[in-house]
Amino acid sequence: MTGIMTGFPSFDAATGGLDVRKTYLVTGNKESGKEDFSYRLAASSLNGKLSVVYVTNNKSNTDLLSEFTARSLNIAQYLGVSMTILDNYVRSIAPQAGDNNYTKVLNGPVDLTGLTVAVSSKNSDLLKDGRTVVNIFDSISSLLLYNNPVTMFRFLQYICGRAKMSGVTTVFLLDEQMHTPEVNETVRSLVDGIISLKLDNGKRYFTVSGVAKEVLTWTPLG
Amino acid sequence: MNDPVFGIGKLDDDLEGIPFKKVVLLSASPAVGNEVFGYQIIYNNAIHKNKVLLFLNRTSPQVYLTEMKDYDFKIDSNLVIIDSYSNLTGIKSAETATTRVINNPSDKEEIRKRLSEELEKGYDLVVFDSLSLLIDSFDFDFAVSMVDLVKQKLQTKDSSAVMLFTDWEYGENDINKLGTRSNAQIEIKGIEKRVIFGQYFAVIKCDWVKGKQFSSVLFKAVKPGGIKIYFPKILITGPTDAGKTSFIHSASKDAVSVDRLGGTIALDHGNLDFEGYKADLFGTPGQERFDPLLKLLGGEAIGVILIVDSTKPDQFPRAIEMLRKTETYGLPIVVVANKANLPGALALDDIRERLHLGKDAPLFQTFAEDLSHIDPNEPTKLKKEGVNGALRALFKELT
Repeated sequence: MTGIMTGFPSFDAATGGLDVRKTYLVTGNKESGKEDFSYRLAASSLNGKLSVVYVTNNKSNTDLLSEFTARSLNIAQYLGVSMTILDNYVRSIAPQAGDNNYTKVLNGPVDLTGLTVAVSSKNSDLLKDGRTVVNIFDSISSLLLYNNPVTMFRFLQYICGRAKMSGVTTVFLLDEQMHTPEVNETVRSLVDGIISLKLDNGKRYFTVSGVAKEVLTWTPLG
Repeated sequence: MNDPVFGIGKLDDDLEGIPFKKVVLLSASPAVGNEVFGYQIIYNNAIHKNKVLLFLNRTSPQVYLTEMKDYDFKIDSNLVIIDSYSNLTGIKSAETATTRVINNPSDKEEIRKRLSEELEKGYDLVVFDSLSLLIDSFDFDFAVSMVDLVKQKLQTKDSSAVMLFTDWEYGENDINKLGTRSNAQIEIKGIEKRVIFGQYFAVIKCDWVKGKQFSSVLFKAVKPGGIKIYFPKILITGPTDAGKTSFIHSASKDAVSVDRLGGTIALDHGNLDFEGYKADLFGTPGQERFDPLLKLLGGEAIGVILIVDSTKPDQFPRAIEMLRKTETYGLPIVVVANKANLPGALALDDIRERLHLGKDAPLFQTFAEDLSHIDPNEPTKLKKEGVNGALRALFKELT
């Protein structure tokens, strides 16, 4: 099977896209463009007839959709069909927030069980329909702020294990500046591939390591 | 005040409620979750005037109560919540008559003190949601010390406790510490392969019920309704025009039939939601020309309801043949003798003898609710007593 196109021609040309069934960590500092990468990856996957489960831990589902709109990424036709949002944030600002036909509202960053159940259940539903699934966790830095590293390690280990078993491609966003080197190293040890992003002189660059087609020198992203 | 209960039929049948002074550990695998068990237990005790104390560190009280309402578990009294969550995340939470707020959820001593003070007030049931989060936030020893604190208070008060716990593959020794402190342990797990295609619970131990074998059962958490025991395939079979389609349409609200001129030519299907059980009912056609379908339809069924026409004993051999052809002989079976009020209908004993049923084999009579509204092209509504009796008997056999 061909890789999953990210929507960045230079990245896809150099790597062949993301490997199906692999787990990836997207790292970089605040301005590196991790979120932009995840939005374009989601839109590109949806356009390629894949299904996306987007876990948002630091913005509400409406804010997330605004981010797509702001980038002229039209995903409206996929909402509730092949795009599901697991909103793990909105209840921290609106405790009574409820589900809609494309969003399941979760309890918040501490309830990792609730998040695991929701991801597993949604993945199962999609896989039973014969879909190829991409899970995006935007971002696990928020989860790491509320949970101790050992707890997070157990959680990520479980999510990665299930993703492998189910054949789901999984992408975690992480702002490494927010965490200790030990925590970052632990998270890195759990994934297959690491996509590093940076902003330099107004241009974005990437490297990819840990998968078959590595790109080990900073390469323009575009 | 009543003895605390689970509010989940199967568990209350097997364990006869939760006696005072007992601690129950509800241990779930991470992909399944046990929170709906908590909602259902709290609801069914609160509405029966049992005072419930909920120690909550998984989410805010507001969200918890909203979730309960989503399952149709609305309560407005008999529940006090110790909120050990809100101040962790900055959600505003005010101390009220029914909410006690932990100011610093990272402070072990404050948690211990507030819980201890509250337990002194006397509650019929204490629920922890969740024990594993206490472990994750602090450590195993602290969580165990909290279980010990609760156990100690249960001895002096007429009270019992339910601890919700997610097993994130902690160490075996630590898990054993919880196991030895629990009087009953219920495991909640998923049947996990590439996808999770079922979830079940099983009583692993219970020190107040002696000499009983506990079986595991599949379940679904349904909004609204909560935990329902789930049977993925119940086969409804029997000869032509015995009343299989009528039975399925009488038992379920959303049944569909593939039929022509009132006769089923492929299958009937209905979703059943009945007295805490959910099941998918599959009905076979009765005509012999469709016999090649029978084996396919019978595959993976776990129970059978055999429908016969009480006025047509000449069809009884065909009924037995259909059990053989669906390859369901030997599965739990309940026989429904339909049209029992029509002239010529055989008595139950006669039917039992002609079908070679043992004297204890479940056999129920039923007939049309209203004979003046029989349309040969539409399923007939059957008397609910017979339909419900047959369903109850089959579910009892299956659990």
